[in-house]
Formats: sequence, C-alpha cells, structure tokens
Amino acid sequence: MAKKLKVIGTPVPKHDANIRVTGKAIYGHDIMLPCMLHGAILRTEHPSAVIESIDVSDAKKLPGVICVITADDADVNNIGYKRDHPILKKGEANCTRDEIAAVAAETKEIALNALKLIKVKYKVRKGIYNTDDALKVNAPQINKFISGKFENKNIAEKFHYEHGNLEEQKKKSKHIISRKFTLPRMTHACMATSNITASFNMVDKKLLLYSSTQVPFLYQRDMAHALKMNPSDIRVIQPVIGGGFGSKLDMHPFEPICALLSMKTGRPVQILYSREEEFIASPIRQPMEIELTAGVDNKGNFTFREINIVKDNGAYTSWGATTPFVIMQAFSSLYKVKAVTFNSTAVYTNNVFAGSFRGYGNPQATFALERVIDLLADELGMDKAAIRLLNANEQGETTGQGLHFETCGHKECLETVISKSKYSKKRTSKEGDRYKIGIGLASMLHVGGGAKIYRSDGCGTILKIDPYGYCTIITGSNEIGQGSETVLAMIAAEELGIELKKIKVINTDTDVKPWDVGVHASRTSFVAGNSLLGAIKILKEKLNKKAAELLKTNHSNFEYSDNKIISLKSNDSIALDKVVREMHFSEPNELAIADYFYEPSSKFQDKDFKGNVSGTYAFASQAIEVEVDTYTGNVKVLNVYVAQDVGRVLNPLLLDGQIEGGVIQGVGYALTEELLMNEGKIMNPNFHNYKMLTAADVPNIHFFPVETIDKEGPYGAKGVGEASLIPTAAAISNAVCNALGLEILDLPITPEKILKALSLRSTNSKLKVNTNSL
Amino acid sequence: MEFNIISPKTKSELLAAIRREKHFRFGAGCTDLLMELRKKPNENLTIINLSKVIDAQFTGIKKSAKGLRLGALFTAHNIVVNEEIQTGFSALHNAALSLASNQIRQVATIGGNLCTASPSGDISCALTALEAECEILSAAGKIRTVPITSFFTGVRQTALKKNEVLYGIAVSANKKNAKNIFSNFIKVGTRRSMECSVVSLAYHIQTDENGKIIKAGAALGASAPTVRFAKTACEFLIGKNFNTISQKDKEDFAAKVLSYASPITDIRATAWYRKEVLFNISKSIFENPCK
Ligand SMILES: Cc1cc2nc3c(=O)[nH]c(=O)nc-3n(C[C@H](O)[C@H](O)[C@H](O)COP(=O)(O)OP(=O)(O)OC[C@H]3O[C@@H](n4cnc5c(N)ncnc54)[C@H](O)[C@@H]3O)c2cc1C
Repeated sequence: MAKKLKVIGTPVPKHDANIRVTGKAIYGHDIMLPCMLHGAILRTEHPSAVIESIDVSDAKKLPGVICVITADDADVNNIGYKRDHPILKKGEANCTRDEIAAVAAETKEIALNALKLIKVKYKVRKGIYNTDDALKVNAPQINKFISGKFENKNIAEKFHYEHGNLEEQKKKSKHIISRKFTLPRMTHACMATSNITASFNMVDKKLLLYSSTQVPFLYQRDMAHALKMNPSDIRVIQPVIGGGFGSKLDMHPFEPICALLSMKTGRPVQILYSREEEFIASPIRQPMEIELTAGVDNKGNFTFREINIVKDNGAYTSWGATTPFVIMQAFSSLYKVKAVTFNSTAVYTNNVFAGSFRGYGNPQATFALERVIDLLADELGMDKAAIRLLNANEQGETTGQGLHFETCGHKECLETVISKSKYSKKRTSKEGDRYKIGIGLASMLHVGGGAKIYRSDGCGTILKIDPYGYCTIITGSNEIGQGSETVLAMIAAEELGIELKKIKVINTDTDVKPWDVGVHASRTSFVAGNSLLGAIKILKEKLNKKAAELLKTNHSNFEYSDNKIISLKSNDSIALDKVVREMHFSEPNELAIADYFYEPSSKFQDKDFKGNVSGTYAFASQAIEVEVDTYTGNVKVLNVYVAQDVGRVLNPLLLDGQIEGGVIQGVGYALTEELLMNEGKIMNPNFHNYKMLTAADVPNIHFFPVETIDKEGPYGAKGVGEASLIPTAAAISNAVCNALGLEILDLPITPEKILKALSLRSTNSKLKVNTNSL
Repeated sequence: MEFNIISPKTKSELLAAIRREKHFRFGAGCTDLLMELRKKPNENLTIINLSKVIDAQFTGIKKSAKGLRLGALFTAHNIVVNEEIQTGFSALHNAALSLASNQIRQVATIGGNLCTASPSGDISCALTALEAECEILSAAGKIRTVPITSFFTGVRQTALKKNEVLYGIAVSANKKNAKNIFSNFIKVGTRRSMECSVVSLAYHIQTDENGKIIKAGAALGASAPTVRFAKTACEFLIGKNFNTISQKDKEDFAAKVLSYASPITDIRATAWYRKEVLFNISKSIFENPCK
C-alpha cells in the first residue's frame, strides 16, 4: 500500500516568500563589494553600419573613469550557440543592441556621462530587416562568423524532421487546409533587470561572478571560453533572481564585458541594465512565419502535417535558434498523426536576436496547429471538441518521433475543460449585438521530465544532516522564482520526518554545489526531486543502520516522523539528531551525508531527431471564453479553464502560481504584447507601450489538475513550468474566431486588427477575412 | 536628470518664488514632469515644488450653490474618493479612476493633468465635458478665469503665461430641474489599468423628468491636438429625449462628435482606428447608458 503523504501535496508557502515580500532578498542589484566600480555599455546608434572609428580619449579623461574598453582591448572568443557573436563589435554594427565600448567608473552617473564622450564614426548602411530580403542572392552576408554550411550565406540554422509517408497520407485525406501564420516578438520583461557583478582577483587570477544565469554550470563553461580561462577558475554565485522565463539561458555580451572590465581594473565591477536597456538588449521570443498544411480523413482522423518555418534569427545565433527542436515535437506528436514533414530555417537579419522563452517555440507551434484543427473541423462539419478527442494522445503511445507516453492525461484534460467550460453550450450573440461571446479550445504537449539535449540531463545532490537534526540539501539545481527550493525542502521533510524550518537548501554556488544542467525545460522539480530522493535513500540506509544498533534491533523497518526514527515493529523510537550524533562521535565515526547523481531515463535523440527525449511528458488543455467588443475591437478574456496533466500535485499553492502566471503570460502573447520594430530599432522599449498585462487584466482562471502518477517522476510528478502558457494564445485565437467568424492568423490580436477585419467584412459579408492580410 | 528644487510653504512664498526665479518649472505630483525631463534634459532648471504649499484653496474642494471648486493640487485619488463627485459628476469620477494606477493617483493632480495639456489627459477630458472654468493666479496675486475650452491652445500648450499658476477649477452645479444625469468617461485602450487613452469620450448629459435633454456636455480625448469640446454635437442633443432617441439621431450625434477629431497615427493606433472607435463609442452612450 502506498504510504500516506504528510507534506507532499500540501499548500506549503514558498520557502523564500518572506524575504522576497519584506524586501530582504538580496538581488544582483543589491550587491555592493568593496572598491566596486560601475560599468556601462555604449551601444550602436545604427542597427546596420560600418564602424569607421571609435575615439575614447575624452571619455578616458573624465574624472572618475577608470577604464574604457573596445574590441581592440579584448582578447576574447566569440560567444553564442554558434560562436558567431563577438562580445564587443569591431568594424561593423549589425544589430541595435551591438556593444561598441564599455566603461568602468567610480559611479554609475560618471560611467553614463563617459559614454556620451565616446565618439564613434559610422557609415550607415541600409540594413536587412526581413527574412525575404536576407535570402535574396545579392544580399550581403550579415554575420561573417559562420561556417557557411548552408546553401544561402544568411541561413543560420536548419532543422529537418519527418516520419510516415506524406504522399500516401495526402491521398487518404478528405480535406486539406493550408495556412501561413505570423508570430510576433515578445519579451520576458523580468521584474529585475539584467545584472552582473564581476570580481577578478589579480593575485590568484580567479574570477568571481554574481550572476542571474539560469544555467550556472554551462555559463561557467561559456564564460571560460569567452575569456580564454579555465572554467574552474570561475566561480558563479547566483543572488536572488528576479525573473528568468528562459531569458537567462544564454550568456549575453554584457556579462563577459563586465568580467573584462574587472580583469582590466583589478576591481569589482557591476553592470545593471536600466528598464529601457532591458527592453532593447535582452532576448525575445522568436518571431517566425509558420506555413502549415494539414489533412484529415473522412472520419476526422489526422492524416499528415507539412510544416515550413522561417525564423528571423536576428544578427546573432542564440539558443533561440534551437527552438525547432521543441516545435517539431508539437507538430510530430501532439494528437496522433500518421505522417509529418518538418522544415525550419533560421535566417540572419539586422533585427534583434531571440533567446529562449518559456515554452521554447511551443506556443508558436501550438497556435498554428490548434488554429488549423479548428479549420479542419469546420471543413468536415465536425464538432471541434469531438475531433480533438478522437485524435488525442493515449497512454502507452509511442509517437512517430519516438516519444513514449508511459502516462498520458491528454484525453482527460480535454474532457475536463470541455465539461467544466460547458464548451458545447451555444453562446448566444445576435446579429447586431455589440459584444460577441466565443469559446476556443487548445491542447499542448511538452517535455515533463527534462529534455536530453546535452549529453547529460542530470542533477547532483549532496545531502547532510547535522548533529542538531537540521538537514542541508546542496542541490545542483537552482531557484529562479519557480519554487523548486520549496519542493525540495518538502521532499526532505516528507522522507526524513524533519520539520520544514529545519531544512536548508543551498543552491547558489558553483564552487559548492554538484553539477546540474540548469533551470529550463520545466525540469527542476522532476530532475532535482529525483536526485534528492536518490540521496535520501542512501542516507537513510546509513541512518537505519545506526538506529538499529541504538534501538538494539536487527531490522530496518523504520518510519521517519516528528524528527524521530521509529521502529515499525516495536514502536520504539530514537531522536534523529541523536542518531546523527552517535554516527559522528562513536565508532566508526561516520558523517550523516550522502550524494547522488540522477540521470533521467530519457535518450539523446539521433540525428533524425528520433528518440524518447524526456523522462515523461506533460499534457494540458485549455478552454477559453472571450467577449469581443465590436465597437472597439477589444477582447476581454472572461474565463480560462485549464486542465493539466501534472503527474502529481506536489504543492497546490506553487502549482496555482505556475498556472496563473503562465496563463497571464499567454494572454499577453495572444492579445497585447509585441516588441515593435522599425528598421531594426525597437519602438516601444518601455512598459507604457509594451503592453504587458496588469493585475486588473487577470481573467478568471479555473484550474483542474489531472494526476496520472508517472512512475518516473518524484511521487509521480511531471514538469509544470512552461505548459500553462503554451496553449493559451491558441485557445484565445480560436475563441475570437468563434465569436466573430473571422480567421486569426497572427498575434497579437490587437483591437485594431479586429476592427479592420470587421470593417472589411461589413463591406462584403461573404468575404473570408483573415488578419494576416491586414 | 539634475535640477534644483524649492518648496514654498505658503501662497506668498510661492508667489515670491515665481517672481524671483528665472528658469523654472512647476512640479505638483511630478508624474508628467519627470518623464518629460528624462526625455528632454533641461539645464540649470529649478523646480518650484507646489506639493508643499499649505493653502486650502489650492489643495481642497469646496461646495457652494454654484457648484464645486477644486484646488489645482487636488489629486486623482482625492477625486476618486469624493462622494459628491461620484454621485453628481460620474464622468470626472470615472476619469480619475481610470488614470494610471492607485499609486500614481495618490500624487497626480488636476493641475498637472490640465497643464501638461496632453490630448489624452483623462481628467482634462472629463472637465472639458463639464465645461469647467480655470482659475489662474498671477505672480502678482491676481486671479483671472478662463473657460476650459480656451485653456488648451495646442499640443502641450495652454493659455497660462510664464508667471502664472493654475489655482483651481470650478464646475457648475447640475441644473435644478435635472432629474436624470447620464455622466460617464469612456476610455479605450488595451489594458484595464496603467493605460494611456487611445481614444476617450467624456459626457455629462442632464435630462428632465421625461427624459428630455436640457443640458449636454461631451468632450473627446486623444483624437485631436487638444482635448476638445464637441459643441455642435451637444447642441444637437438639446430637446431630444435621451431614452427614445432614434438610431439616426445617435449616429448623427456620433458624426458630429467625430467632426471634431483630427487624430494622428502613432505607435498605439492608427488615425483610422481612432476615428472608427470614436464614432462607435459616441453612439454607444445611448445604448449602455451609465447614470
Ligand atoms: C505611469 C503613468 C501613467 C499615467 N497614466 C495616465 C492616465 O491614465 N491618464 C492621464 O490622464 N494621465 C496619465 N499619466 C500622466 C499624469 O500622471 C497625469 O497627467 C497627472 O494628472 C499629472 O499630474 P502631476 O501632478 O503629476 O503633474 P506634474 O508632473 O507635477 O506637472 C505636469 C505639468 O504641469 C505643470 N503644472 C503642474 N501643476 C501646475 C499648476 N498648478 N499650475 C501650472 N502648471 C502646473 C508642470 O510644470 C508640468 O509641466 C500617467 C503618468 C504616468 C507616469
């Protein structure tokens, strides 16, 4: 019989909530080191230009300026996923973010004033701001640092995937729908702006970094490569992080620049972005065009999907270029489909480059796919819920791509939101009504047990109990606000019977903690949780042995509860701290410590991208009800019904937080958020015109967790972090289409687009209006 | 951004400061001013901080038979919590409530909203529909009044002279025989808070016991270089019955409001959108009336 859980599944508040809400948390912005200097970066004035000269002499003369550097002063390697990104630019500028020079000064104000004294001579070029222009044969090569292995000099990366027999499935299709979707630039807009403090020790040549990276060990390696150092000579400490959402997966130029300034001056240097800089120079969600052709047979079974994606890579290649890895999973495996051919091309332009962003390409893919499913249902005259239920994924399924669903809550998620939202009920808005109500449905599939895209997707744990009965978890994984610290503490409390307040989580220092690949892919609770459970098992074996000796029994049938180890046979018990003391202080003098490295059962995919890439998979469905104001074009999200296969609810409070936060980010993606660009420049680098939603805009969110108890997950849990945002824009789009009878083909669905479409239709009621043509 | 600040404590200290200082700007809540100075730094500037002046006429509200008089330093928050305004002048209440966020409303003043003279000023739009009178104080201590319709002279330009400060605003009492008051502020934007009006419309319509319109005020925001009073549209309504107004009259009214609009295309919306929406919300006032 499964043991009754006492802590897991309960609404324990976030471990770090108190320090965060009382202002006691130490963010990167709060760090002050003795003799610290303040760094600032000069960025190009023009998104595309030849840099003819840079004159820093006046800046150097400004009192309080300690150091000014340009590319000529830096003996460094390029950074980025393709190593195509110089950290300081020389000879030419290719992107509005381009770093031309950097200053370290006694105060931030002096550093900023010094920037104004740097004279740069530019020869402005026309620049290339869309992928069509970049692919023209006579287009200049934008990024000069790539190998040129593709047929066009401006192609940064390509992915191809296929399964099944496409031609055969096309023949079997009763209806085929083909559409092109356009997705915008969205930015993370983390509450804490980007920050770093670097301190290079001139004596032992070691570099200490206070950094908000999501992937400290990969970062350590990337930084070492950039600065031509030994990774182990770089120590990365993470202060409290004020928002990640994927933005801190890549290392960005300002980070090695800050390190360089410290290496040149021998003093600690801090760089903090202003909010405007944050909008301009931090990553974005990949903009792309998705051409999707999909078929359905006469019974409503999905036959094939053919996908062609062109992504605007911007001027440099980041992890963002690898999102097709996730995008193809949605297309190959969300709902059963017999044949899929997928091609994606990332094209260099002089626009800003993307990074990773919660969902990693999946919101884009899901939007296109779920819109087309609605269109296929319409063609067939089939109910939109029924066609989804018919094709939903099932437990035990292995998809064309080789993803294996040991557990699968897809159908249950769909059924839940269909019934809770009363999806089939007619929503009545009459001809001539100002407000039109609609409802839309969408599902998603995402990795739920990490993603093996590095050679290891593992996580290490060192666990100790001290002679006072307190437990310290030293975990490779880290906390970026998602709540993993709390979940780990809960697991230790559950298994070791120690009160939560006696559990400490140490997770911020690469010199101390064991390896982990980082916070991404919704993996932390899953991977770090399993790793901790592995360490607990080993530690308990040691504790059991000592407890048996002290309780004078020879069995190890113990329960850990109330800071005690209790014999299940005799009911005798002994205090946990006493057992630890006896281990330490009596022969054979052992520490109550254990370590464990957990590697998920997932497989590294082959060159055709086939294989079971994750330990388990998360599914979710959302039904969203909207009200469209036909006078203003505004869309009000009335109700969001979310059902998500989370494996097991580890902490309902934290889970709600992830779901609500994700849904709101998804609503922003659907309706309001877009980083607007004109000729390579960002037009709205502020919260005033970058329309991130506010508390007043939060819709009613009705959440129904679906528990499938996956044997791979800690207590059966799956990753939840990204899923809640993935289907939201798709469901909202379907709802708006349902309300108005229009076709939405691009995001965000602005009031203006809606009003334009309605007005076009009012001139010709038969017109099939779609938003891409506006 | 660097500047000097002086904080007069009394009206006479204020007037003395105005006479003395050469290169100065007034600051009340500073929610507009700081944004402006950040964009356009202004060297050797002195800010005359109005927020420390202790003077009931400058900061308070007073009710009389003629109506309400609000000090220029009365804040958006003060407006929101005032019952008199909420019940008698919903357009003003709702405009103040729609402004920015609770935090900004604590400091943002009427005077700042009017003197910034932004075409999208929400309080300005409501006060224009209410046909308020602006009370202007000169450095010499003299008061002159200007109807709000001639206060705004262009984008970010007002009838204030360099040595004048806006002292207060007077709003006429509702008519004695007004039995019903349809008063509201309609703000169109994408967010429900922290949103600058993309288009706005304030209206304040008084009817007799039969629904006949006896007085009407309507103003449009974010649709022209200044907030505008839609005079002909208001005149058109007099004598019509609010409850039974015909579809054609609704649309004629909306068309008349629209005739005051000459919007621009900017990052928030196109001119086309602004016009379309202004027309739609103008006719909507009879459909979803807000008393
Ligand atoms: C985040 C944010 C959101 C906002 N949202 C809105 C919104 O939704 N709607 C809206 O209408 N506005 C909005 N604003 C603008 C601003 O808050 C309002 O216009 C506010 O009413 C200005 O008042 P203030 O007291 O802060 O003005 P200040 O900034 O102090 O002054 C503004 C201007 O008026 C002058 N001035 C101030 N008082 C006087 C006086 N008594 N006599 C003469 N000149 C004077 C100043 O010299 C300055 O030029 C927003 C601003 C911010 C920062």
